[in-house]
Amino acid sequence: MHDPNAAAEAAHKAFLAKKKAKAAARRQKEDEKAELGMTSLMDIVSILVIYLLKSYASDPVVINPTAGQKIPFSVADASIRDGIPVFVTVRGITFMDKKVVTMTNDGDVDPAMVQNHLIGPLFDAFQEETDKAKALSENRGTEWEGRLIVVGDQALKFSTLIDVLYTAGRAEFKEYTFCVIKQS
Amino acid sequence: MARRKKKQDEGMIEANLLPVMNIMFLLIPALLMAMEFASMAAINVSPPKFSSAPSEPQEEKKDQEKPLDLKVFIMEDGYRVEASGQQEGADAGKSADSGRPTIALAKPGAPLDDYERYDYKALEAKAKEYKTLFPNDTTVKVSAEANVHMQAIIATMDALAGSECKVGKLLTDEGHDEMAPKCFFWQPIIEGGAG
Repeated sequence: MHDPNAAAEAAHKAFLAKKKAKAAARRQKEDEKAELGMTSLMDIVSILVIYLLKSYASDPVVINPTAGQKIPFSVADASIRDGIPVFVTVRGITFMDKKVVTMTNDGDVDPAMVQNHLIGPLFDAFQEETDKAKALSENRGTEWEGRLIVVGDQALKFSTLIDVLYTAGRAEFKEYTFCVIKQS
Repeated sequence: MARRKKKQDEGMIEANLLPVMNIMFLLIPALLMAMEFASMAAINVSPPKFSSAPSEPQEEKKDQEKPLDLKVFIMEDGYRVEASGQQEGADAGKSADSGRPTIALAKPGAPLDDYERYDYKALEAKAKEYKTLFPNDTTVKVSAEANVHMQAIIATMDALAGSECKVGKLLTDEGHDEMAPKCFFWQPIIEGGAG
């Protein structure tokens, strides 16, 4: 008489033996080293670096607006030529990474700082920089172009703008450029 | 046979790309920080000229001999346009009429920070009109009231130059002939204390 329990037990034993043999075979096999495919990653990164380098190299002057500054929009398309930027906002005037003038709540320059359109602290900062730039140009044997890039603010008042331009003129800047955002 | 296999194994040595990748990954944030996200452009302006009083009337000459001497004064209630020392729209016998703008606001009563308040289209049409009479003139004196915002001044300069004018292209040899008829008064001179 055929015993179904004995048959099931034999099948289970055979299964366990097979499993044991498979595990032993796996243990005997050397561990394979998992390698990361670097080529595709390298391609992506190289393309990204080339694109960024190209966009960096195409602009002679990199303008990084100060916090909260809204640069005016324009349909103008002329590229910005090399010059010294001054950031004029309704909060203050920043020149060479230093805030030289703080505005009043109305967005005007403190009247105590202005004398006949001349903004005193800004004039000092301008003059220091022009002296340096002139000396550098002299050493190079080139003429100093004296170009000021005015990075303004949409809400900047005309009176303040005029004071800044007048002060720059007194500090011997000869050319002025308004920095704008190209409107599509 | 064994020698050939050894040679093949030597040829399969892979370059260690990890140091290169490290440099590349450092370059990406550095370049991203230096990159500008909005494309910038420039408007070249001539230095401000200061005048305490409006220009005096010039001697009467023939129309062809008179210089255009176009001046645009941006007021809080519109534009005052002046050519050859004579304001357009001024009362008879007067050279200027400070009480009335030549081009009124497009949006009367709009606040100063609403930059669509000025009638740029009418100003552009006026600039085009003057350009046909004086085709060789390219300069315009721009002045404004103390509280007028920079965005309004820039938009006024755009309208005076012509909305289709591309100064960058105009200054090149190839684009000059194409752009010349579209560019009106593209060399602004900022004038303070005038009007």
